[in-house]
Amino acid sequence: MKKSLGIVILSILFVGCVPVPTPVIGAGTGIGAGVMHSEYGQAPHNYATAIRSYFSTKIKRGSTAQYKFAPPRRAFKRKGLVYGGDVAWKGWIVETTVAVPTRTGRYLTPRKYMVLFSGEQVVEEILGTHHKLITLVDR
Amino acid sequence: MANFNTHFTVAAGASAVVSATLLSMEVVSPEQAVIAFGLGTLGGLLPDVDSAHSTSIKVGFNVLSLLMTIMLIFAKSSTYSLVEMFIASAVVFVGIRYAFLELFRKISKHRGMFHTIPVAVIWGIVIAILGQWFFELNSLVSWVYGFMIAFGYLVHLTLDELYSVDLGNRRMKKSSGTALKFGMFKTKEQKIHTAVIYAVIPMLLMLAPNTEMLETALFSQDAWLTFTDVILPYDGKWFFH
Repeated sequence: MKKSLGIVILSILFVGCVPVPTPVIGAGTGIGAGVMHSEYGQAPHNYATAIRSYFSTKIKRGSTAQYKFAPPRRAFKRKGLVYGGDVAWKGWIVETTVAVPTRTGRYLTPRKYMVLFSGEQVVEEILGTHHKLITLVDR
Repeated sequence: MANFNTHFTVAAGASAVVSATLLSMEVVSPEQAVIAFGLGTLGGLLPDVDSAHSTSIKVGFNVLSLLMTIMLIFAKSSTYSLVEMFIASAVVFVGIRYAFLELFRKISKHRGMFHTIPVAVIWGIVIAILGQWFFELNSLVSWVYGFMIAFGYLVHLTLDELYSVDLGNRRMKKSSGTALKFGMFKTKEQKIHTAVIYAVIPMLLMLAPNTEMLETALFSQDAWLTFTDVILPYDGKWFFH
């Protein structure tokens, strides 16, 4: 019984260790809305070219891949809990769908990436459209 | 029951095959394949950490205490001085390697709940959670690492079960059925333990990374086609690419 109780307590502690996400900062229209916008900077304009160029060296056969882009959205990313969990990046995310050919030339099911921007610069790419440390401000 | 060396060799061999396949299918990068191989091998040693004086428990707690110490250094290197970090690291290392190990030895029972399939699943989910929340890994890589730990764990349980067959005398040993099992159901206490273990799984899944990428990469029609593409040379030219 003690062991069972121990497992339950450990699980609750483990679940409880995960930090509560910072409240989402809305786009807002009132006073101060501009300040909140400025934290994220301007949305990237040439994101398609920047992403194509970035992936051409980042992934295998990236230069022959097929790309689709969603409009940029504001977001922020926390550091991993090992590194302290603070907000590490605020900027714009462009969800990008990339279909890469295999070595035989067959195109794989497209993979979705979140491409993180600071200004016009690609900061990093994250495979998938969900990550526990990323919060999308614009839904 | 297989010994430490057998578990190590078989888990390493099986993990090498799986991680090389994942690399070949371009699910993981070469560096990630090496980590996946290491985790699969470690998973193959984990079930025996409930055996008070096994080599696995020493290896397991050495790895755990070193990992926790390194994590502390990562987290506090920008705020702690060298002396503070040294003291905190020593406390964490000694606390886990010796104090926690002694406590663990007292409460665990060999071939108890640790030798069950749901515990393998829990290890897999926990590693996936740690990968994403603590080390910022994407969902696919987090789950691949979790999958490898669970895979290594299941290899160990299967091997133990295979060793419970006495091929010479053509009979089942007494240990048969104690390794690869879905839970323990003999006593009331065992039933409660089993229920708790199963109840923990959905709780952990709430924290776990999204599984969509893993499903596409490993368990889809596309994954199967990719696998068949890499089995043999696609253009018939052996060794000349």
